[in-house]
Amino acid sequence: MASDARAQAFLPLTPPTLHTLVALADGDKHGYAIIKEVARRTEGTVRLSAGTLYAIIRRAEDDGLIVETDERPDIALDDERRRYYRLTPLGRRVAAAEIGRLESIVEMARAKKLVPRPKSV
Amino acid sequence: MSGRHRARSWTERTIRALLRAFPFDFRADHGRDLEQTLRAQHREATARGGRGALFRLWMEILGDVITTAPREHLAILKQDTAYALRALRRTPVFAASAVLTLALGMSATTGMLAIVNAVMFRPLTVARPDEIISISNRTESLSASPWVSYRDLQDYRAATRVLADAAGFSIRFASLKVDGAADRITIDLVTDNYFSMLGIGAATGRVIQPERGRPWIDDRVLVLAHSYWRTRFGSDPRIVGRTVRLNGVPFTVVGVASARFRGTEPLLRAAAYAPAGTFKVFSAGYSGNPFEDRALRMFTVLARLNPGVTIAEAQAELDVKAATLARDFPSTHKDVSLQIVPETHARPTPQLGPFLRRASTALAGLAALVLLITSANLANLLIARTATRGREVALRTALGARRGRIVRQFVTESVALSVVGGAVAIPIGVFAMERLRAFVAGASAAATLDPDFGVDTTVMAAALGIAVGAGVVAGLAPALWVLRSDVAENLRGAGRGVTTRFGGALRSTLVVVQVALSLTLLVSGGLFVRSLDRARAVDLGFDPNGLLLASASPALQGYDDEQRLAFYDRVRNRIAAIPGVEIASWIQFPPLGITGNSASVAPEPRPVDPKWRPPIASEGVVGPEYFATARIRLVEGRAFEGRDSAANAPVAIVNERLAQMFWPDQSPVGRYLIANDARLEIVGVVQNGKYQNVAEAPLGALFRPLAQVAPGSASIAIRTSRALADVGPDVRHAFSTVDPDVAIYDVRAMTTHLDNGSAFFPFRLAAFMTSLFGGMGILLASIGLYGMVAYQVGQRAQEFGVRMALGAVAADIIRDVLWHSGRFAVVGIAVGLVLSAGVAQLLRGLLVGVSPFDPVTYVLVSVFLTAVCLLASVIPARRATALNPLATLRAE
Repeated sequence: MASDARAQAFLPLTPPTLHTLVALADGDKHGYAIIKEVARRTEGTVRLSAGTLYAIIRRAEDDGLIVETDERPDIALDDERRRYYRLTPLGRRVAAAEIGRLESIVEMARAKKLVPRPKSV
Repeated sequence: MSGRHRARSWTERTIRALLRAFPFDFRADHGRDLEQTLRAQHREATARGGRGALFRLWMEILGDVITTAPREHLAILKQDTAYALRALRRTPVFAASAVLTLALGMSATTGMLAIVNAVMFRPLTVARPDEIISISNRTESLSASPWVSYRDLQDYRAATRVLADAAGFSIRFASLKVDGAADRITIDLVTDNYFSMLGIGAATGRVIQPERGRPWIDDRVLVLAHSYWRTRFGSDPRIVGRTVRLNGVPFTVVGVASARFRGTEPLLRAAAYAPAGTFKVFSAGYSGNPFEDRALRMFTVLARLNPGVTIAEAQAELDVKAATLARDFPSTHKDVSLQIVPETHARPTPQLGPFLRRASTALAGLAALVLLITSANLANLLIARTATRGREVALRTALGARRGRIVRQFVTESVALSVVGGAVAIPIGVFAMERLRAFVAGASAAATLDPDFGVDTTVMAAALGIAVGAGVVAGLAPALWVLRSDVAENLRGAGRGVTTRFGGALRSTLVVVQVALSLTLLVSGGLFVRSLDRARAVDLGFDPNGLLLASASPALQGYDDEQRLAFYDRVRNRIAAIPGVEIASWIQFPPLGITGNSASVAPEPRPVDPKWRPPIASEGVVGPEYFATARIRLVEGRAFEGRDSAANAPVAIVNERLAQMFWPDQSPVGRYLIANDARLEIVGVVQNGKYQNVAEAPLGALFRPLAQVAPGSASIAIRTSRALADVGPDVRHAFSTVDPDVAIYDVRAMTTHLDNGSAFFPFRLAAFMTSLFGGMGILLASIGLYGMVAYQVGQRAQEFGVRMALGAVAADIIRDVLWHSGRFAVVGIAVGLVLSAGVAQLLRGLLVGVSPFDPVTYVLVSVFLTAVCLLASVIPARRATALNPLATLRAE
């Protein structure tokens, strides 16, 4: 639980930061790929600008949530020798903690019938 | 192909340019990636096609940079400031000495900024002040009137192509009586369009305004200045509509001017405004028509330019008017030419404006030198501190901090220091300016001098800007040094701190600069002190010691000529009877005061040369005993006597200079001269003297008897063997027994009058300010030198320990240290002497009786500065020898 407290210290995350961490959850990506991934998954509703993204990356790197990786997933595709980023175990825990925080809020809202429960449940 | 290539390179160039907005570190870490991402987005948008998509992308990029880049800078600033404040808290002694040094230097700067702002920049508190210009008569001599007559003003107003309007005002002193209490106040007589031209309304009631069908307003109405309304009447609105007595004449208060209006007198503050049509109430003895008399030049004229009109255009148009006047009225206007300048250039008067601007620029320049020394001192302190932080810097560099980042950190630290220093300095500056204002205001009770040296937001912003600038400059020095130093070497320097040749050289240079600049300041101060000395040594042509002055204005009680003369006579007799009073006499204006009279004089017969112009001479109106009282030697003829009364032919006494000008090598006694149209018989000749200022070239002077002029106000000069302060109460008593209603003012020693008047006041002020700056400079420089020597001695403690253990005596060590620091002093003084000679050249016009290269000043200052430098070095040197050599060695 001590490690959880460490992750809790980063909360709450800003939505763009959370999106960035989630985008890296299934594999290393470079900056442009993160932007595209976030846009695709949110169907264009969240559009990270490049400056904002690199400011987030910078802070997340300083905080040890992500690291730059030397491995290139597919050298043939990587024409411009971009930098790739990887989620660290701490980053993973922080993202999970943030999502847990959001879930508890959603749960609270449902209990008060602010939003309906999904029908399948 | 080449077109596409150009397009791409344009895109890339733009992207790169935008990236420059980001902090250095951010660019270094992510610049390339960011650029690639932007390029990729650009490619995609181009592929999607359509200018719309590209346009949207560029807007997005621009918006992104504008929001993200400042946020990144701010984050670093916050981080650095927090770090800087933590670091400063860890070294409180350093922080305190740096802040004090800065506060000292910057309070001088803030004060000078306030003066320069008041003198040259602060706009009038009127509508669109930048449109306001000053119109005055250009005059050859300082004693000729630059003001404008009412009729001339109306002619200039007719130049409607360039001027929206022109208004005049004329200052008067009056006694205002309400509810039995009388005040002596400053009042502006204003033309009826004065308030409308300036765009000033009333806080309550109404202001003076033009009325259709009336050529001028002569109603006895009064508009109070807002500040006078507040201090004298406690902002009581019921004053409007009440009747007050001005010089015994009833006036109705019709309103109070708006609160923001501070008047149009730069050095005085008017308490009230009355229509110029009531002129005669304030000028007993004038019998003409002030609205027709073109020779009665009484108005200071301000005009409002039409939108878009330049000064040059206005000058051209008004020159035509002036030429017409010169043609139509040759007797009064043949030499008239107009001086048209922005209002800010005509402070305090159009003639004195250029001089005052030069003087305040010179003082501001000297204050800038103080600031430079301060900056050098701060840089030196920072370098000394950096040296001890060498390992911290090396560690951070080794851990990956970029040098640019460290430089930024250093500059942030020194800016933080100077902003704190500035925050301490501003209240000191405000306080000093308040004292200076009181000093100036106390110079004379006859005129309510009230210069506004307030520290407003402009001054505050400028001072803060200078603080940040000084911080950046001072912070760059240690930062530069860090850039040059070797990381590995610093890491090895086990706790001893770093000493690189570059750091040492930089510090020595800074000390040399400080010594040189403070020498320059001291030389300037020395020259002004010598100037004051010379001014005091000037033969004034009379003996000011043991003279007491007291002034009164019986005309303010509405006394006519006869009543005034009777008053003067009775007061003089009472005073002459006071024990210890040897002799006493009235004089209209004591010599070398702020006010004085002059006249254009011609001998009779007038010289035949058609190009001959009557010269301007000083005119004094004096009682029969004046020459004896002031100990002015009678050279020829007789002094005034009882028979020189209004009933008999008008007479005059001239000085030797005037006699020599008109009748070289002949006796003027029994001859006639014309002074301002009065024909006067010369009955005597007195020795020359100084009349308007001590620096004047020998000036012709004439004196007229009090009984033939009957001035509305005068001062009595009393020669006594008693202490002047003891006689004062007796003098007041004598006045009140003659007429308790006539207020007595300005009871002061003649020497005080000279100190505060045009005789010595400018010299005293200049000597005081420049000596103050010189003192600050030398204090700062000696702190700087002391700091450096102390540091070097600390560095060499082990060497000294070894030498003393090997038998060297304290004197050897001290000599060694002094030899070291003495070189800086010598080089600094040499550089300073050259610099001083250059600066002194610029001061030439402001010095009196002293060459800008006065050897005495240069030698004395150099010797003094050398002594101070030696002292600043001896103290740390002695401390070094007091250490126990064995303890020092053991510390190794």
